[in-house]
Amino acid sequence: MPAHIPIVKKHRKRFNRHQSDRFKCVDPSWRKPKGIDNRVRRRFKGQAAMPKIGYGSNKKTRHMMPSGHKAFLVNNVSDVDLLLMHNHTFAAEISHAVSARKRIDILTRAKQLGVKVTNGKAKVKTES
Amino acid sequence: MATLSSDLIWEITRGHSATLVKRKEAGGVQFSRDKLNLRNKYSRKYEGLVADKAIGVQPGDDGGVVLLTKKPKKANQPSSHIQVSTFGSGRSTRKTYSAIVKSTANRGYRPDLRKDAVARASAIRRSQKPVKDDKQTKLRGAKARAEAQGLSS
Repeated sequence: MPAHIPIVKKHRKRFNRHQSDRFKCVDPSWRKPKGIDNRVRRRFKGQAAMPKIGYGSNKKTRHMMPSGHKAFLVNNVSDVDLLLMHNHTFAAEISHAVSARKRIDILTRAKQLGVKVTNGKAKVKTES
Repeated sequence: MATLSSDLIWEITRGHSATLVKRKEAGGVQFSRDKLNLRNKYSRKYEGLVADKAIGVQPGDDGGVVLLTKKPKKANQPSSHIQVSTFGSGRSTRKTYSAIVKSTANRGYRPDLRKDAVARASAIRRSQKPVKDDKQTKLRGAKARAEAQGLSS
């Protein structure tokens, strides 16, 4: 497992659009309130927090999974070979449309290279 | 001498090269499929297509590694452009690394890539070792009880 500084998420909850809880026609996708009297925009006490750059993750842990790897989407065996020199920082993620037969080839190659596969158990059935 | 300057080739091809692999994940990573790229990293330093002199280390056909180097004087003769030398699986890893360093960095051929060449050769040799089987996972819950039942009866 790669050593890294601890991953800190400063705001785990989603930022929901103001008043999306009151009206079903207001979608929760974030939109910045623009109204002249808007209390969320004016950051009054007790109001919902607005997203801002300060919530961003540390650059060193950005895009990192809890395991300390970053994901790299892989479609075939030659994509796994790209991660030969990066198996401490990147983990392979097999693309959803890859068949079970090709997944097995990808998994064996990843094992040889010491590359972690995030979705290694998907579609590949083992005898039991 | 290459037909064009390396910097010019890089500036022209850096956004869309046949060797470039782009992904949206991890903030838009860029890897390279270039055989002469030691880190598979798409950058001016590592991209072998661009450079007059470049080093490549690839797995050999039957174990071992193959060292590729570009001959700067043969830029217009593609068939003899790349020097290939093989270090078989019989040769110890340390001797392989020292041979790679002696034939490249120690002769002033891309001394900046010395560490990368050795690291890649090492990674390739490690990948050629037989893989260990996965540890058997301990069964839990209902499966574990079923297993115990099966053994006792």
